[in-house]
Amino acid sequence: MSGYGFRQAARMERIKLGSVRSTWWLAIATVASMAAAGVGVGFGYRSHTPVATAAQILNNSLSGSILAQLLLGALGVLMVTGEYGTGQIRSTFAAVPRRRTVLAAKAAVCGGTALTVGLLASLAGYLGGQLAIRGTAIPAASLADPPILRAVLLTGGYLAATALIGVGVGTVVRHSGAAIGTLFALMFVPTIAVGLFGESGIAVGRFVPLLMLLNSVAVTTPTPGLFAGWISVLLMCGYAAAAILCGGVLLRRRDA
Amino acid sequence: MIELRELTKRYGGRAAVDRLSVRIRPGAVTGFLGPNGSGKSTTMRMILGLDAPDHGEALIGGVRYPDLTWPLRTVGALLDTGAFHPGRSARAHLSALAASNDIPGSRVERVLRVVGLSDAATRRAGTYSLGMRQRLGVAVALLGDPAVLLLDEPVNGLDPEGIRWIRDLLRRLAAEGRTVFVSSHLIAETAQTADRLVVIGQGRLLAETTVAELAAGGDNLEDAFFRLTSQATDYRGTDVS
Repeated sequence: MSGYGFRQAARMERIKLGSVRSTWWLAIATVASMAAAGVGVGFGYRSHTPVATAAQILNNSLSGSILAQLLLGALGVLMVTGEYGTGQIRSTFAAVPRRRTVLAAKAAVCGGTALTVGLLASLAGYLGGQLAIRGTAIPAASLADPPILRAVLLTGGYLAATALIGVGVGTVVRHSGAAIGTLFALMFVPTIAVGLFGESGIAVGRFVPLLMLLNSVAVTTPTPGLFAGWISVLLMCGYAAAAILCGGVLLRRRDA
Repeated sequence: MIELRELTKRYGGRAAVDRLSVRIRPGAVTGFLGPNGSGKSTTMRMILGLDAPDHGEALIGGVRYPDLTWPLRTVGALLDTGAFHPGRSARAHLSALAASNDIPGSRVERVLRVVGLSDAATRRAGTYSLGMRQRLGVAVALLGDPAVLLLDEPVNGLDPEGIRWIRDLLRRLAAEGRTVFVSSHLIAETAQTADRLVVIGQGRLLAETTVAELAAGGDNLEDAFFRLTSQATDYRGTDVS
């Protein structure tokens, strides 16, 4: 009888997340977009000369993650801004007045859900690519091959981290449109800005989300100069933690 | 019992609630009256810990709201209509709130029946009429079977039958020994429900009285209310011609 805590708040967040349609649409769209990209890439390479390598197929069939990261990022954003936009947040904070408990619960539920969906999507991209090249001379990429499995798993992890960044940005910005805009800007603007650094671009670029995704996380072998995939994913988790911490600080100060 | 001690909230330089001190007793319906913009909703939000007071405090049974062990089982609140996500069903909304305070699922079905929303419980709350939204808000307030109830303008949007239903419900809850604090800007409606009255204007306490006392002034309740608030109204129209 010590009162409510994280466990109760997490149960509340799980029920809330599962009971709005946007969650399901975003999850389905995430998996579908990666599957479609995988299939598209596979078909594109069928008649390609020279014959594509297993690594080429895998790297490219995970490219749907560019869209998937935005969809899951939006899922994270909406978990928070969907409440501010509708007044639900007042019901939530009246039920669980310790706001950082709410934020922690949201992050945990969002992280778990996004990791599940992200892994499914990543697997769907891989399978889509593999199915589309069946019957060709292109060598199949097996999940038993560590670099292949690693890329598929890390892509799922990267996508989950993006959703968590969305939770943080949503908590700071509070308005759905503005928060999703901010998240998209965080994902794309640095990529463009890296171009301004010329020669030393790679030293900066290895810290940039989209470049990490395409050259370090969702690939069998990272581009030289970039971090190893798992370090890139940890870096993304670090960004997410920073965003959520900012949100937590502001949450205490602001009126609901 | 709700106790406000010098509760103060400023927006910019203007005090929305100004050193408001009052006790709201159990076993009675206490009406919380004041013109538009007099600080009723801000006071309610501060009691619930949603807005932080700039000065003073609001205590429920001697405890600040954020320090309550099980908030929903102690205080039930009907906030402004629409404190829910329009895409979520009434049942899911109530279930989520119940889970946050370890309230059994049977209680969700119970309050849905009490407010008459059982048949509409799977519909998305965004499709509800204003009256149904108010009923959902009342269901949320009753969910934890709390000893203290705060209702912000509960009759807004209700039809005459709904208004009577709310009136009877509030009186019954008070008769069970609960503290019932109901805000309104309608004196006539409040007088039919409340025993005690707290009247504020421009965030300040104007009167702590009973309906009987206010009516004993000789003139009708509405005139008595206008007399009380005449110096403390922010927005006032003039004749057209």
